[in-house]
Amino acid sequence: MLRALLAKDLRRAWRNPLPWLINLIVPLAMTALLGMVFGGNSDSGALGRIRFAVVDEDKSVLSDFLRGAANQREGGKYLEPVFMERTNALKLVNAGKISAVLIIETNFMRNYLTGREPVSLELIKNPAESIHPAVLEELLGAVVTALNAVSRNFNSEFPEWQAVFEGKADYHKASILVERAGDKLKAVKKFINPPLVGYEKEDDSESTNAAAKTANSNGSGTNRVAAKTVEKKNAKSNSDSSHTIFAYLLLGLSAMFLLFLGQNAMTDLHRELRKRTFERYQTMHQQLWPFIVSKIVFAVVVLLICSAVMLGGGGLVFRIHWQNPLPLLALVFGYACFIAALFAVLVALVPDERRAGVLNNVAGMALGLVGGCAFPASQLPAFLREHITPLMPSNWFVEAARNLQFNGPGVAWGIVLLKLAICSVILTALAAMLFRRKFKTGLRA
Amino acid sequence: MALLKVEGLNKSFGAVRAVDSVSFEVRPGEIYGLLGPNGAGKTTTISIISGLLKPDAGNVAVTGKPFWSDPQAAKRIMGVVPQELAIYEELTGRENLEFWGRMAGLSSGEAKSRATELLAALTLTDRAKDAVKTYSGGMKRRINLGCALLHHPKLLLLDEPTVGIDPQARLNILEFIRGLCASGTGILYTTHYLEEAETLCQRIGIIDHGRLLAEGTLTELQERLGGDRVFVLEADFKNAAPEAWDGFNQRFRVIQKTEQQLVVAAVGARDPSDCLKDLLGLPVHVENVTLKRPSLNDVFLQLTGRDLRE
Repeated sequence: MLRALLAKDLRRAWRNPLPWLINLIVPLAMTALLGMVFGGNSDSGALGRIRFAVVDEDKSVLSDFLRGAANQREGGKYLEPVFMERTNALKLVNAGKISAVLIIETNFMRNYLTGREPVSLELIKNPAESIHPAVLEELLGAVVTALNAVSRNFNSEFPEWQAVFEGKADYHKASILVERAGDKLKAVKKFINPPLVGYEKEDDSESTNAAAKTANSNGSGTNRVAAKTVEKKNAKSNSDSSHTIFAYLLLGLSAMFLLFLGQNAMTDLHRELRKRTFERYQTMHQQLWPFIVSKIVFAVVVLLICSAVMLGGGGLVFRIHWQNPLPLLALVFGYACFIAALFAVLVALVPDERRAGVLNNVAGMALGLVGGCAFPASQLPAFLREHITPLMPSNWFVEAARNLQFNGPGVAWGIVLLKLAICSVILTALAAMLFRRKFKTGLRA
Repeated sequence: MALLKVEGLNKSFGAVRAVDSVSFEVRPGEIYGLLGPNGAGKTTTISIISGLLKPDAGNVAVTGKPFWSDPQAAKRIMGVVPQELAIYEELTGRENLEFWGRMAGLSSGEAKSRATELLAALTLTDRAKDAVKTYSGGMKRRINLGCALLHHPKLLLLDEPTVGIDPQARLNILEFIRGLCASGTGILYTTHYLEEAETLCQRIGIIDHGRLLAEGTLTELQERLGGDRVFVLEADFKNAAPEAWDGFNQRFRVIQKTEQQLVVAAVGARDPSDCLKDLLGLPVHVENVTLKRPSLNDVFLQLTGRDLRE
């Protein structure tokens, strides 16, 4: 009986797939949108290469150094600097072909080394882009910080360095300066080395471990190997960090969107009312509850498919490793049952399709927002956070799912699953009771 | 024993009395027609009988047992064809029949073989695999009817099953219903088409404003007008007052009066030529007189003062 009812609904959905495809496109589009905003689909799993122009108006040794740093081997993976005149660079940025223009102004090195006037590096960002110019700005901030640090530590020697750079000093004087710089760097060695040593234990690549060990035993190779390993560690660390954010966001957004998808699935009950097929079923000798339960099962099947698209597809796009997939699946199942039963009750309460649309949207939004799906619950107003949010099944689900992902499996998810199951059963019974009452008093959709 | 017995049925929606003391019965192998205009209470009556609505008062008995004592048992022997096309447009005709067969309690195999039989009987075999949304109005109506017949119901409730279809499709459906009746199925048939009630139903109940005004065979209803003929007079009756004409009320009963037409029936068994002579002697200039058999519409006119076709 239930099988016949469910087969009928699935067949109908298959024959008229457009509404369901739209429902599936929504989470896919959201996932893609997130991917584009955060760069989740680039080859490196990060931002891709940032193309920008460097206008070197100083043409000094220091500006050469900065230019060179931009396209070093490691930097070259992420940065794609092109060197040109200011006018051409501005034309390119206006045409949207580059993300930004970095201008090293005339007398940059002279002013930096003499300290006579404040120096600046100018960055003109492409207003049509958001992420890449922002990354360049951050990088430039790091360069400025480094230059300031160098200035503070080597300020007294800058006049002599200036003479060397301008070719006014002999090699003997230059070697003395290099030796003094080496002594100063040796003094700060202990502040630089620990991260390199710490990384060696965390690295999962045998070859890199071997390289790092060699570097530690062979002082001359330390900087080169260290640079490589630090970069690798950073990449891993960034990757983990982004996965954490994506997993957090994706779970919340999925919880929110499942509410709307559940609402869409249950509008089929409205269609059955409008088409009088529900009424016809009532003239049969069958009980009412199988019809309601079959609709709920149908909605749950649809929600599980959509969850697979959102969480499975999103997981692939953002390379999220779901830590506890089976408990998460159980939670999604419980949450889907709750959503379907909730909207069945709302259909029974408001059989008018247009009015129900408004009510269902409000209910979905309220459950999603107050439940802490779209925003972290901690950001909600105190009253909601303390008195309302904990009562929301959407909050039970999203918090339990996030806990599963970030804190490991405990008993909490099982309790949440039980609570969701109890709510689903109660709501299903309530929906059946409301429909029975409505029919007896003359329900006409 | 009556297959369906309805006694003193009442149902109100707020201040509106939709069904008011309606009583009738349907016997096996009989088509009982419930004739009335839109809003007369026909659908509400069928909804109560099929268990969709609970009456405020009155009883419904199916095969002698009160409906509400065991609604599921009563529903097992009933087939209900709603006025709306309560079928799934995305499914094929066969799938619709099979699905409603399963809902009627048939096994998958039984539903399949019964669907094949019905598709043949409804002359829809060649379109069985097409989605219902591609069907014509008449074909949809046939499938709508077929969906109530899967379990061989003893009692069939048909709520205006031919509304909105072309005459040929209507004739096909009426022929099919006659076949069902011949096989012993008791049928309650609601309609607002006079011709359907006249040609199809063995007994007819005339319903208006929730009340059953008259009931009987077509002949019995015609006899209520006082014979088997009525006279239709065409003249200027704008300022005429027939009741004031000398001896008119003793010889004729007015069925309908409009500005141009007066429909009357003779009181008692009188010779038509005498009647005609009397009518031509009336104090109005009669342009035309027609003698005809009284129709259900004339009966309805006499009972309600309104034309059913209005």
